[in-house]
Amino acid sequence: MKPPRSHYLPRTRTGRVATVLLVVTMALAQPPVVHGLANRIEPWILGMPFLFVYLLGVYVAIIAVLIWTMTRKV
Amino acid sequence: MEAWVVATSLIFLYLLATVVIGVVANRRLTVNMEDFLLYGRQAGVIVLYLTVVATFHSAFAFLGSGGFFYTHGIGFWMAGTWTILVGVITYTLGTRIWALGKRFGYITPADMLADFYESDAVRVLTAAVSVVFTILYIQVQSQGLGYILSVASGGRVSFEVGTLILLIVAAAYLIAGGLRAVYWTDVIQGVWMYVAVWVGSLVLVYKLFGGPVELWQRLATERPDLLTLPGPEGLFTPGVWFGMTIALSFGIVFQPHMMIRFYTAASARTLKLLGATTPIYLMTLYIPAAMVGLGGALVLPDLQIADRVFPELLFQYAPAWLTGLILAGATAAAMSTLDSILHSNMTVLTRDIYQRFVAPGRSQAHYVLFGRGVVLVLLAVGYVLSVSTFDFLVTLITLSGAGALQLMPAILGVCYPGRRVTTRNGVIAGIIAGLLVLYVTRVVIYQPLGIHEAVWSLGVNFVVTIIVSRFSAPPSDETRRRIHGEIERFVYGD
Repeated sequence: MKPPRSHYLPRTRTGRVATVLLVVTMALAQPPVVHGLANRIEPWILGMPFLFVYLLGVYVAIIAVLIWTMTRKV
Repeated sequence: MEAWVVATSLIFLYLLATVVIGVVANRRLTVNMEDFLLYGRQAGVIVLYLTVVATFHSAFAFLGSGGFFYTHGIGFWMAGTWTILVGVITYTLGTRIWALGKRFGYITPADMLADFYESDAVRVLTAAVSVVFTILYIQVQSQGLGYILSVASGGRVSFEVGTLILLIVAAAYLIAGGLRAVYWTDVIQGVWMYVAVWVGSLVLVYKLFGGPVELWQRLATERPDLLTLPGPEGLFTPGVWFGMTIALSFGIVFQPHMMIRFYTAASARTLKLLGATTPIYLMTLYIPAAMVGLGGALVLPDLQIADRVFPELLFQYAPAWLTGLILAGATAAAMSTLDSILHSNMTVLTRDIYQRFVAPGRSQAHYVLFGRGVVLVLLAVGYVLSVSTFDFLVTLITLSGAGALQLMPAILGVCYPGRRVTTRNGVIAGIIAGLLVLYVTRVVIYQPLGIHEAVWSLGVNFVVTIIVSRFSAPPSDETRRRIHGEIERFVYGD
């Protein structure tokens, strides 16, 4: 049987953009970024410590990518 | 009125509501396995949304997460990572599982894997992994429920009686209304627990500190070690952070009570909407948990059991009505997970073992009746486990998080066609090797090189699966055309 085209690599441009955005934003919430650059209390943002706000920002960004992906019907 | 009276009354009021829902669901039930076990594959966005989030968040998220923040600091805010990854998995993988389930009538995870890999051995192994690594959660949730009722009543309802009452209620509405009753009660539970934890934490934070900003400032002054990684006890190292992200996202999604929910969606669009938006609920629940846990570390620094930080703060600083509301919310959190685990184990044992090997070809009514009997047995098992202590159970529970994770290579092999085909022998060898490595890296040599056991076991599992698959017979061309062809059509059209 002829091997099928792989589903691990997206075939549309929107699919590729969504995949790259998801991988990049997920990486921002993982080591070494979190344990290095983001692992600090200052600067304070809106009265909250930097690490907390940084992670919240990354989480919101990932959700935004998911919603954008859905609106593009990928 | 005393706090314990209000708290206990609200919990019993809530339990009464769930029983009424079970009775109403029973009236809508048809004697049909898909209706009893899968909600007739008709779950819409709101119901499915709330049942997914309520099931995902157990008593641990409600009470245990506060304890984690209390002990290990802000590092537990990483919970947002795995909750969001659950959304990504639902969006990408869940829709494919839904499509195959709808097309080929799958009810359990083992249905899908056994069909593709053309193997009863794969079915039994999948069913065994599904049951062994989730039945222990019955014990965990039951113990949580007994504890909550005992605390709420000020010790007037003993732990054992509390556990029994709540187990019986969960089993009763499950037996009466099947998955429909579970979903409908989850709607209440999902709303209640979210409102309760947010309201409770904000009331406490404003009362104790004057607001969240003041809480953060006091933490920075008095306990700065709670605001950076890896935390006061050094838990959140890079290896543990990455491993927990994998184990508590994929590992939980591949447990049967979560995977079966994919089959029940009314449409793929429903699941995509869920994937994109459930992380909002799942992730934001940890914000009030952080405020409670970190605030508790300042106000009650000498707690013997960190998980008790939320109820302890409530009883000392919150009004009685609020304490009752929140403890009823904690009950909802535990019951919404407990009923789903009871249901999924009942489904797996009925469908994958009884219908397949013991009594094939019986009527739908027969299997529904058998399933109800299984719930009673699980109730008894859950109760015995809850009030007893077995050393081997303690070990098994520590392995549970990454147990179902071992199904990942097998599931990807079905849902993601590629140039290299995963085979029956490959996935069997991979799952067994993964489970062995999981045991070794968790129990024998704890997290070698500081890397979480989920990463070790899954890595070995993938390697073994790929190598054995290269040297063993793939599924038949007909089966691959049928199943991978369906995936191709579903994702990219004809």
